[in-house]
Amino acid sequence: MNLDARRNVILSFIFLVVGIYLIRLFYMQVVDDTWTLRANEIAEKRKEIFPPRGVIFDRSGKKIVTNQTYYNLMMVEDSIVNLDTAAFAKLIGWTRQEVRDRFKEIVDGEGSYYNKITGKRTPNYQTIRAYPFLKELTLEEMSKIAPHLANFKGFYEEATSARNYPYKSAANILGYLSEVYREEIEIDHFYKPSNNIGRAGIERFYEKELRGIKGIKYIVTSALNNAIESYADGKYDTTARQADPLKMGMDVVLQTYGERLMSKKKGCIVAIEPSSGEILSMVSAPSYDPNLLVGKRNISANYPKLARDPNLPLFPRPLQAEYPPGSIFKLVQSLIGLQEGVITANSGFPCDKSMVGCHNHPSARNIAEAIKFSCNPYYYQAVRRIIQQGVKKNNFADAEYGLNKWYKYIRSFGLGKELDADVSGQRPGLIPNSDFYDKWYGHHTWAFSTIRSISIGQGEVKLTPLQMANIVAIIANKGWYYTPHFVKSIGYRGPLPQFRKKHWTMINRRHFDPVIEGMRLVVNEDGGTGKQARMDNIIVCGKTGTVQNPHGEDHSVFFAFAPMNNPKIAIAVFVENAGWGGSWAAPIAQLMIEKYLKRKVTDKDKEKRMIEAQIAFKNVD
Amino acid sequence: MRKEESLTEHLDWPLFGALITMLILGLATVYSVAYNEDAPSLFNFSEKYGRQLFWILFSLFLGLLVFLIDSDIYRKFAIPIYLSTLVLLVVVLFMPAVHGAHAWLGVGSFGVQPAEFAKISTSLLLAKYISGLTVKQQTTGTVLTASSILLIPMVLILLQPDAGTFVVFTSFLFVMYREGLTFDPILLKFVNSIPGVRYKETWVGSHFIPILFALVFLSIITLLLDSVIFHINLFGLDLELSGSSGVIFGLLLIYTISWLLMQRFSTRRERSRMMIVLTLGLLIASALSFTVDKGFDMLRAHQKDRIELFLGLREDPNGDDYNRNRAMAAVGSGGFLGKGYREASVSSVRSNHVPESETDFIFCPFAEEWGFVGVVILFALYFFILFRIIIIAERQRAAFNRIYAYCVAMILFYHFAINIGMNIGFAPVIGIPLPFFSYGGSSMMSFSVMLFILLKLDAQRKDVLR
Repeated sequence: MNLDARRNVILSFIFLVVGIYLIRLFYMQVVDDTWTLRANEIAEKRKEIFPPRGVIFDRSGKKIVTNQTYYNLMMVEDSIVNLDTAAFAKLIGWTRQEVRDRFKEIVDGEGSYYNKITGKRTPNYQTIRAYPFLKELTLEEMSKIAPHLANFKGFYEEATSARNYPYKSAANILGYLSEVYREEIEIDHFYKPSNNIGRAGIERFYEKELRGIKGIKYIVTSALNNAIESYADGKYDTTARQADPLKMGMDVVLQTYGERLMSKKKGCIVAIEPSSGEILSMVSAPSYDPNLLVGKRNISANYPKLARDPNLPLFPRPLQAEYPPGSIFKLVQSLIGLQEGVITANSGFPCDKSMVGCHNHPSARNIAEAIKFSCNPYYYQAVRRIIQQGVKKNNFADAEYGLNKWYKYIRSFGLGKELDADVSGQRPGLIPNSDFYDKWYGHHTWAFSTIRSISIGQGEVKLTPLQMANIVAIIANKGWYYTPHFVKSIGYRGPLPQFRKKHWTMINRRHFDPVIEGMRLVVNEDGGTGKQARMDNIIVCGKTGTVQNPHGEDHSVFFAFAPMNNPKIAIAVFVENAGWGGSWAAPIAQLMIEKYLKRKVTDKDKEKRMIEAQIAFKNVD
Repeated sequence: MRKEESLTEHLDWPLFGALITMLILGLATVYSVAYNEDAPSLFNFSEKYGRQLFWILFSLFLGLLVFLIDSDIYRKFAIPIYLSTLVLLVVVLFMPAVHGAHAWLGVGSFGVQPAEFAKISTSLLLAKYISGLTVKQQTTGTVLTASSILLIPMVLILLQPDAGTFVVFTSFLFVMYREGLTFDPILLKFVNSIPGVRYKETWVGSHFIPILFALVFLSIITLLLDSVIFHINLFGLDLELSGSSGVIFGLLLIYTISWLLMQRFSTRRERSRMMIVLTLGLLIASALSFTVDKGFDMLRAHQKDRIELFLGLREDPNGDDYNRNRAMAAVGSGGFLGKGYREASVSSVRSNHVPESETDFIFCPFAEEWGFVGVVILFALYFFILFRIIIIAERQRAAFNRIYAYCVAMILFYHFAINIGMNIGFAPVIGIPLPFFSYGGSSMMSFSVMLFILLKLDAQRKDVLR
């Protein structure tokens, strides 16, 4: 065996490795630019330019969300020369101790990160890096500091932009921004620490549409990290682009008016344009000024206050409050009965108070009158025919069959599930089916008599105000709806695709006429429960509701659409603990309809009475 | 000393010169990386460059001591030296952990790592053992004895744990290979247990080690390039290759080049045999690369995680802890001529972008400052040192000296290949220093002593026959 030849094996190994490494290094260093760009990014010679966020318009083109310039006072420790702490503290109106504490805070806070592997905060403070010393100063505050900054090397001003809400309304719709969490940065590299991200409402749902495209600029810097020139003549640079504006279906005047009407009350208003599904207004009362939650300083000062408020201003009632729908459900029950053929437009039932309480009125001779009188016994008898159709011999099996049929109809109204709207944090409500009652009572142990309270929208049934307003829109459209949504158009591209699709209910168009007639009677005929909503020249169709509240006074509810023959607005009004539906909800709905259709309100006394009323609202100092 | 002669008379000046050049280059890089405006003096011993200078001078002093001692003692005392190193390796396990490893013996900054010196003592004992064997003695027993000389310190080092040094110890397998001490006897036992088979030698068994390493190297490259996509512009044709097909493409390239070389340089008789070996090699390598690639995809998620973590593939490229990505950015941004001395913007200690940029990642600032030109010079210097050591090895008359020289060459080669591989994305990030270059006393002293022992053995090579 010639062992000496093995020297060549080893030598060729060495030769091969050296050769491969040199080829690789030539590629990395000379041919490929990727690593140079990455190095610039690491050495912060890659500046990212964030465009101002997209602005938002209302349906008539009023700017409802804009941007305002704010200033950060930045500092780079390496550039600081002989800082006169006392003078600097005086300039920014702090004590020397506060300035020292802030330095420490930057090193431990912004200058460190949470290491996922070790689970500890790991220091990463770099003396050549810029950190914001003071954040979100207004122009006024900055103009006092800026002229003196020449005396304090290492500090400089940097402009940033923050949101501004000139109408001070629709906080619950628009949402707010706050600083990104580290986890969010890791998921989406668009963000850098201390960037803002939409936290709620439109700002959150349309985050990607609003944030725009950031620009990147590569620069060549001197040893002191001052920019000298752009790298490679800007070959790799990209420009920042602000996002296209969002156009909302909301009418900001109507929204602001609704918030005024609901002041010092709890509840909500949802108004939808039936022909498009655009949400005209969504008031959640009480509300707050969205400018309170702009910027870190404001959020930390105001958010805890809002969260502690016993009137729950942060609770999005139209989306999350689940109420038993009460009398509005009678409209839906009528439609299902008609479609199933178990009743006709002219079916009459006696007002038999032995089954369920009712107020004093003559027996309804047809559906329109049943709606006008909101007769409870009528609907017990009508819905019994839907649930117990006599198809199965066993009474329990028959109820199961009937309920599941009913369930399919109800689901076609978009109930019992979250609507696919452009807002997060909806509750689904609850529509019971046979599985639900089987779990509750046991299989084949329940029949109509067990579950009869669903006939009049009480019992297990729960809907959100948004879903109820959508029912009104469906009735106004006679059988179809577009999913309710806020944004009419993203730039000029129209709404999201899911809002261009018509949803049809399982109810035939002709069955709506007697129901709408009933709603007309409610408002426009004496003896109707909603005459508070009557208007001159315009036929309003409505339905009162009184939602039983086990915790106190009943909630006052009113649903309406107008005008009858060419519906422009469908509205649902909830006033918590305000008693029966005609008392407060109907007049508020009327004022809203008038404001929207005529742009001015004639009955100023009524308006004043509504605005000034305080119902179940706890005063907070 | 048997003869009155000057210390330097038989010193191998080329190797010594290369060593001094390397030390100066390393010191200059440490000075650049750790430069402190407030203490610019090289002789400031509170700064890293000051300490590095001290370590270099101290190591040269140790070298002088080595030269004063007769080289005979290394052979005579190989066993006690080896055993005392083992004791130290056991003792160190009971020391408090630094950075999660029980590797340091001593107090504070003046500690030493026994694992560094274990390389020398293992080299010595291996050289002594193998040089005492004759060709006929190469049986299963001797192979196993030689292997256990490596395995005992390897296990102790793995307990610390120090994966880097553990891997470096496998370099001794190449030395065994060079000396004909192969795993063939073991393989033959298995093969010949099949009735009717009587082999005297198997090709796979004899060349087991280089084959094994080629396979491991190929597997690691395949895995590392798994997620990479190559763009190749061939005659205006824009090709997109996935990582594993890139490896196969590379193999084909090597095949073609070897074939061309063979047509030119080999005789006809050799050619047909070598063609078979080459073609078989290509097929096996491609099959392996393919299997590794597909097999890896089939692994369960947590198994994948573990392998990817080991190979350093699993960190987030934008996370602050992504050492390798940053190291590669520093190296890659060097360009052809580099950014200039003390202009490393990514890898200077002050900017803190590349951790350990004065120790394990010292190649980064060097490559960033001197660019491809500097890299070529450094590679040439290393290649010269390795080549020179092998020349020295081959001119030894005593087997002990030759084997020891090969040990030194292979250890240095390993350090070079893995350390620089870490910086260019070809090796997993296991912390081992770049010899004579990285900041640190332990490695500086052990490498110097190792090399000076070789120089001394070489200087006295003619004494052996007297």
